[in-house]
Formats: sequence, structure tokens, C-alpha cells
Amino acid sequence: MKNSSSYTAVAYLFLAPALILMGIFTFWPVGYNTYLAFHDYAIADGTATWNNFEHFKYIYHEDLFHSALKNSLLYLLVVPCIQLAALVIAKLVNNKLPGMTFFRATYYIPVITAISVAGVAWAFVYKYDGMLNGFLTWVSHFIGYHSGFERVEIDWIGNPDIAIYSVMVFTFWKGLGYYMVLYLAGLQAIPTEVEEAAILDGANAWDRFWKITVPMVKPTILLCTLLSTIAAMKAFQEVIVLTKGQSDTYTALFYVYDQAFRNYNFGRAAAAGLVVTFFCMILAIIQFRFFGDKK
Amino acid sequence: MAMSKSVRNALGLSGHYAGLIAFAIFTTFPFLWALSSGLSSDASKMYLFPDGFWPHEASFMWFERVFQEMPFLTYLKNSTIMSFFTIIGVVAISVLAGYPLARMKFPGRGLIFVAIIATMMLPGEVGIVPNFITLKNFGDFANWIQESIGLGSSWNMREWIGLNSYFGAIIPNFAGAFGIFLMKQAFEQIPQDLIDAARVDGATEMQILWKVMVPVTAPSIAALAIFTLVNAWNDYLWPSIVMNSKEKLPLAVGVFNDLTGPFATSDNILMAAIVMTVVPVLVFFAFTQRYFISGMDGAVK
Repeated sequence: MKNSSSYTAVAYLFLAPALILMGIFTFWPVGYNTYLAFHDYAIADGTATWNNFEHFKYIYHEDLFHSALKNSLLYLLVVPCIQLAALVIAKLVNNKLPGMTFFRATYYIPVITAISVAGVAWAFVYKYDGMLNGFLTWVSHFIGYHSGFERVEIDWIGNPDIAIYSVMVFTFWKGLGYYMVLYLAGLQAIPTEVEEAAILDGANAWDRFWKITVPMVKPTILLCTLLSTIAAMKAFQEVIVLTKGQSDTYTALFYVYDQAFRNYNFGRAAAAGLVVTFFCMILAIIQFRFFGDKK
Repeated sequence: MAMSKSVRNALGLSGHYAGLIAFAIFTTFPFLWALSSGLSSDASKMYLFPDGFWPHEASFMWFERVFQEMPFLTYLKNSTIMSFFTIIGVVAISVLAGYPLARMKFPGRGLIFVAIIATMMLPGEVGIVPNFITLKNFGDFANWIQESIGLGSSWNMREWIGLNSYFGAIIPNFAGAFGIFLMKQAFEQIPQDLIDAARVDGATEMQILWKVMVPVTAPSIAALAIFTLVNAWNDYLWPSIVMNSKEKLPLAVGVFNDLTGPFATSDNILMAAIVMTVVPVLVFFAFTQRYFISGMDGAVK
């Protein structure tokens, strides 16, 4: 072995580009964001002045931020739906029947589509004279609920009562394939003998799913739930592309984005971002407690 | 038990495929609809079900109009440039950083690895405000250099590395935990004998990495490059914040702005534009999809 200090130097030299870039664009923002949260930032000359928790006091009393937080927590509803559906799909494609490669690829298409472009397509599906209402009109004619030229006209992303759920369906559609692939990896680690034995014992598909598949992919479920909880808490690109925050779809990070790049109040945005980070960490800890202990 | 076993199997199998097809319709219907609307020169049936799902009076006229109404080729060029350099950057940095983390023993290795993995848990979007300010400072710095060495303002060095630059739109994505982790996993699979043999021959660490490790881990590098390409191609948020001149926008941002902006004239043009943006990714995906599934597989384990 060559002398050890030059060996260490080589190792750090290899790591240097990664560490420098991560330092600037990943670690520094955490610290600087915290600093900004306690200051008034003037974008013109780049000066920051201490403001005695003013931003936190402001957002603590602001209705808009409250409803943003409420919507972000409501958004967590998408987590169990997407996890269950992804696991079921992974189970459906995890076999050697013909056409499985095709179906796997098909389910992955939304994941590899740009969120902005997919959002435009969905906005057309959702608008009050859009495809979803066209479909529902066809269904209601079919079952005889409507007649003649009557059309179903629900404003899926304009009505404040339902808009947030419509955005959630979009998130569900976009993320399904991603979690399916993760579950597929988990499922492929299960030996096929286990399931064959259960079939011989006469267990039906429902029991096999809940009593064999679910317990055996539990580590993957924990990972995926954690990822999708944080993703749901951070949801806001969906909001940008579908509703631009109209009709009660403000989410917590959309508030951050809006304060920063429409109001140019970087300090307040940073304070709200800090609150969101805090919530994300609490959710992560809860989940580790909840799932982690039983392993 | 009236049904014979083979009937029950057949029923089970059709149920299985019915489920698969139902989900497949759910994930693809917006694109199928966009495709048929983009191909229809008769727009009147676009929002009718089920008529909207096949073309009426098929023609490519809307696709031709896309080229006339938006700078599609400019966006395409920008997306290509930005994705290309992102791939180079991500692969180079991940390979360089993954090697010492996997195969070299040095003080601080554990700590650095934990720190890199921990960044996966951070809500990265919170970094957009500080990164925006950082890039603004980069631009100011470039401007200061330009003035202090006495170059004219036509050089506009502020837009080389600051806001509204290709550099600024892609540089925060270069060093990522995912890529470093993927390469570390790949390097750990290589037998120690191979490295020892190279060391005995007097190879430097750089030679081992470049001549031994990189060729053997080519499939993982390919997987990383493909993932990076798709992410870079689809990146919407950060370029939309950093870029403010239309001629530098990538597809994901430019097409979106034009589609939702005041110049959006006809719904069918929008649908044609959506199809044209999605198709390059789909074609690429069709050829490389095995890497997506196996690449994710490697990252999970």
C-alpha cells in the first residue's frame, strides 16, 4: 500500500466535485433558508435584516397559510390509495403471463411524462366541457339518467369543493407506475414456493394478498409510504400546472412558491418552507415509530 | 362445486387481464385522446365520448400548425443541450464519488456517505429560494469579473453562469444522492481480485477507475444516464424559475407556457403539441424500458 495520506487525498479528490456541488446546492440552502426565515430579505440589494420572528407571527395568523397547510394534510389521503393500487398492480404484473412487459411499460408512461405537459392534458380532461364530463354524459345517457342533449357539467378544477380531489387524482395517476416498480422489486424477492404452498392449502386470492404478500413486502411498504407521504406533503407542481392555486387548492409548498416568486417576499417564503420541513420530519418520525417497531 | 377447474382458471385469467387492461386505460387515456384530437381536422367531436377517441377527418394539419405557432425546434434544441450536459455532469460526478465510497478506505467515509443519503429525506423544493439567490450571486460575480477585466457589456457574462443561463438551470441537479448511491452499489459488486491485480501492476486509482471499473459497470452507468435523461428532459419547476427569456426555455417549460398562455388558439393544436412533446420520450422509453425496471431494482436493494 502506498503512503496513506496521499491515498486519503486521492479519495477526497474524487469526492470533491460531488461534495462541493452538494455543499452549494443542497446543504447551504438548508442553512440559508433557516437564516432567511428570521430576516427581511431585500431582493434588489441582497441585504437581510433581523425582524424578530415577524414572518412566523404573520403566517401563524394568516388564513391563506392555514388553508394551505390544511390542504397539504388533506393531500395525505392520496398516500394509502396510491400504495394499495400500486401494490395490487405490481401483484398483477408479477408473473410470466404473456404481455406483462407491455403492461409494466404502459403503467410507467405517466412517470416519464413531464408534469407540465401531462397537467395540460389533464386540464382538458377536467374542464367543464372536457372529456371527463363527456364520458359521464355518455354514462348517464347509457343508464338513462339524462336524456337528449343534456350534458354533465361539473367544473372539476374550478369548484372549490372538489378541485383539490381532482388534483389528487392527477398525483395518483402520475405516481402509480413509480411505486409499482418499487413494489415489483419487493415482490420478486418473495420465493414462489410460499404462495404455491398457500394455494395448495386452499387459500383464496384475497387471503393470499393480505396474509402473504402484504406482510412479506412490509419493508418496501414502509419505504414507499415514507416516500409518498413526503411527496404528498410537498405536492405543489400539480397545483401550478392544473389550477395555479385557484379554487381552494393552495398547498403549503405552493404558498412558499407563490410568496417567493409572485410576492418576492423571500423571508416569508423561507419561514413557510421551514414549517413544511418541520411537518415532513414529524411525519417521517411517526412512520418509523409506527411501522419500524413491529418488524 | 359446479365449475370445473379449467373453467375457473379461465375465469381467473380473464379477470386478471381485465384488471390489467382497466389500469392500462387509466394510465394512457389522456395520451390516446390527445393523439386522436391532434389528428382530427374536424374539432367538433373532440369532447364527446367515445367519439373523441378516434380521429375525424384525419390529417397532420395541427401538427404543422404547431411549428408555425410556437418555436418548437428552439425548445427541442434547448432540451437537448440541457439534457446532454446534465447527463455528462451527473455521470462524471456520480462515478467519481461512488468509487471511493465503495472501494477505498479513508477517514470520514462513513460520515460522508450518511450525509449524502440523508439529503434524500430533505424536501429539496425548500432549496429553490436559496438556490435562486445563489445563482443571482453567481451572475453578479460573473458581471464583476467582466467589468474588472474591462470587457464590454455585450459579453453579458452575467448570463453565462447566473440566472437565465443553461448552466444555472442544470447545475443544481448534477450532484445527487441517487446517482452516487447507484454507482456505489455497482462498484461494490466488482470482485476485489480485479482491483488488486491492477494495483499490483502499479495502476493509479484514476487508472483503476477509468480502465477497470468503468468498463465493467457500463450497464449501471447506462441506467443512470437514462434516468438522468428522462429527469432532465422533464424538469419543469427549476428551469421555469431560472429562465426568463423565451429562446432559452426547454420543451417542458416552453410548451407549457405557450399552451396555457394567451396565444393558445385552438384546442387541437394544443393536443398536437402535447403529443409531439411526449413522443420523443416514449420512443426512447420503448427502447430502454428494461433499464428503468432493473435500474430501480438495483437502487432499492
